[in-house]
Amino acid sequence: MRKEDTVKLISAEGFEFVVDKEAAMVSQTIHNMLTSPGSFAERQHGEVTFPEISTTILEKICQYFYWHLQFASSIDLNSENLAVVSGKETEFPIEPELTLELMMAANYLHT
Amino acid sequence: MSNQRKRNFQIEAFKHRVVIDPKYADKTWKILEHAIHEIYNHNASGLSFEELYRNAYNMVLHKFGEKLYSGLVATMTGHLKEIAKSVEAAQGGSFLEELNRKWNDHNKALQMIRDILMYMDRTYIPSTQKTPVHELGLNLWREIVIYSNQIRNRLLNTLLELVHSERTGDVIDRGIMRNITKMLVDLGPSVYVHEFELHFLHVSAEFYRVESQKFIECCDCGDYLKKAERRLNEEIDRVSHYLDPRTEKKITNVVEKEMIENHMLRLIHMENSGLVHMFSDDKYDDLGRMYNLFRRVPDGLSKIREVMTEHIKETGKQLVNDPERLKDPVEFVQRLLDEKDKYDKIINFAFNNDKSFQNALNSSFEYFINLNPRSPEFISLFVDDKLRKGLKGVSEDDVEVTLDKVMMLFRYLQEKDVFEKYYKQHLAKRLLSGKTVSDDAERSLIVKLKTECGYQFTSKLEGMFTDMKTSQDTMQGFYASHPELVDGPTLTVQVLTTGSWPTQSSVTCNLPAEMSALCEKFRSYYLGTHTGRRLSWQTNMGTADLKATFGKGQKHELNVSTYQMCVLMLFNNADRLSYKEIEQATEIPASDLKRCLQSLALVKGRNVLRKEPMSKDVGEDDAFFVNDKFSSKLYKVKIGTVVAQKESEPEKQETRQRVEEDRKPQIEAAIVRIMKSRKQLDHNNLIAEVTKQLQSRFLANPTEVKKRIESLIERDFLERDENDRKLYRYLA
Repeated sequence: MRKEDTVKLISAEGFEFVVDKEAAMVSQTIHNMLTSPGSFAERQHGEVTFPEISTTILEKICQYFYWHLQFASSIDLNSENLAVVSGKETEFPIEPELTLELMMAANYLHT
Repeated sequence: MSNQRKRNFQIEAFKHRVVIDPKYADKTWKILEHAIHEIYNHNASGLSFEELYRNAYNMVLHKFGEKLYSGLVATMTGHLKEIAKSVEAAQGGSFLEELNRKWNDHNKALQMIRDILMYMDRTYIPSTQKTPVHELGLNLWREIVIYSNQIRNRLLNTLLELVHSERTGDVIDRGIMRNITKMLVDLGPSVYVHEFELHFLHVSAEFYRVESQKFIECCDCGDYLKKAERRLNEEIDRVSHYLDPRTEKKITNVVEKEMIENHMLRLIHMENSGLVHMFSDDKYDDLGRMYNLFRRVPDGLSKIREVMTEHIKETGKQLVNDPERLKDPVEFVQRLLDEKDKYDKIINFAFNNDKSFQNALNSSFEYFINLNPRSPEFISLFVDDKLRKGLKGVSEDDVEVTLDKVMMLFRYLQEKDVFEKYYKQHLAKRLLSGKTVSDDAERSLIVKLKTECGYQFTSKLEGMFTDMKTSQDTMQGFYASHPELVDGPTLTVQVLTTGSWPTQSSVTCNLPAEMSALCEKFRSYYLGTHTGRRLSWQTNMGTADLKATFGKGQKHELNVSTYQMCVLMLFNNADRLSYKEIEQATEIPASDLKRCLQSLALVKGRNVLRKEPMSKDVGEDDAFFVNDKFSSKLYKVKIGTVVAQKESEPEKQETRQRVEEDRKPQIEAAIVRIMKSRKQLDHNNLIAEVTKQLQSRFLANPTEVKKRIESLIERDFLERDENDRKLYRYLA
């Protein structure tokens, strides 16, 4: 995997997640961050720090990115909600205790 | 999901971080404001998108959207004012470049700002119905930069100057033009229209008005059209390169109006190079150009069409009335066909096969062909010539093509019955003299006539063909029943049905004894097999093959007409015969006899008779001898009669009269048909209907129709209404 195709997402606690750009761009916010003309620091370094998102949530988010890439094409895309699920096999598991924080992160990331 | 969201809000309210710091908003805005400055100064690389986004996000979330928005407007306005100043300060040529560069910068910055403030765009702006960031940026740019007093006019003038210098042949930077016009379009279609397009069109109109005036003074029509076409293409090219596509229609309209529409008539009628000149010189390119250009303006094509019709009519009139041309009918018709081909080609190549032009062409041909009353005769003569000799060695397809062309001319004829009359005569001559080259061609022409005019028109012609065929069978039967005749002279008889053939008053001449005996035998055979028929001989239409031995013993076979045979046979028993003696012995009508003696004695190379005195004409007192010195390279010698190819004046009158006679019953039939279905009709309508019905055959003369009506009234087919004398009533 080439460096240009990935992006490093850093949580509030400093954990680093390296994901495909393609996956990260599921988030509109990250998409803008990485494509905006005139390079911002994130675009230059290929890493984004989220001081307000905890590791647990960020991990869940990364899982969601890949899940979305895989299945979303078959699901109605107009939702900003992580909880959108349909069918058993394609269900994206969300633990109830994470729901709230995930919701806020989703709003922030415009996912 | 909804209850999840509900719970979400409840908990959020509880968890919500209360803003303790009253300066929080100011602080955050400072960060963002700084960032916007940095972005305008190309220093964005040091900024963290995440941080800025988070700050904007939080500001909106904490109900400071208003502050954020107004701050943005203020900051951007400040920057744009600076930009406007620097653009205004730019000198000369660099003005557009500076403007363009600043515009690009602004666009880029605007996009970055929009990205950072995306959350505001998403939530705050829709709920408060404010202008979205991007649009806001464009609006501010328009208000502050483009509408700035010093920029507005300068921009317009610079653009127009550049276009003008390109028109006069200079090369300009099309890229920057494209960017600038694109900018105007991006700022809103109305900006483009008002700031540039309207003025552009106005200036262009002025430019082309002057230029077209200049061109038309010094160029001929072809050159002018070339220039106009080039200008038009240039404008289209210009639009495609750096103007808004919607301008194309408008600017081409301007060029069309100024360069073509305003000078249309002058171009068409230009001396030595106008439309007429192009027609006569077959300038397909120029014609095509003219067609394509004039098609763009209203009335353009109809103007061309008018002039073309006028021109064809004029040249056609000259053609059909030129006494020189009328001497040779074949040549005459060929000229007509050439003329038709020429215009067909022009319409095909230059006028895009335009239907309206074809119609105009047809109507003009119809007009002038019918100007000459002899056209039907000439067309028939042309066909005669083609079918006699012209089609030898020509492929079947070519035959068809020629015949089709003739049919086309035929279609233009108004007096189709006159044509029929002549055609019948010529066909009869062809058939009887066995001169038809191709039966197929004959038949195909008849089929064509049939499809054109119906069964009635050709039934007699077909009858002629049938007669020829049955005659062959009859002759076979005759010789089968008279086997002893094989050794003697051979007689071939063609039995013709009266009515189908154009019979002339038959004056039977005295046949030589050998022949008349044979004829008698045939008569008895024929009347024996067909009862109730009458047989009369048409000696004026036959031919004969004679074997002759001349003074030095050279033998020739002479192919002559029946009259000529009669004359020559007399010389079997005499060396010298006077004109009177010949006339007495044969009883051939004087005019025919003279003609036949002429061809026997006076045509060089065919003069089997010698005449005294050796004058050019045959006189009543001349004497004739066998020409013992006759010699010919060929064994078979064909002695043609001096045939009047074209009808002489009295003959013409006669044919004309016969045609008129034939028309009478047709007109009457038409009147009766119409009246029978209408029961009553007034005079004018009746005439109109009759003319319409007979149109396919000839153009009925109203006075003639009136005479026929009178005659029908006399014969109690019709009556006049008692109260209204113009109304006719049908009497059953």
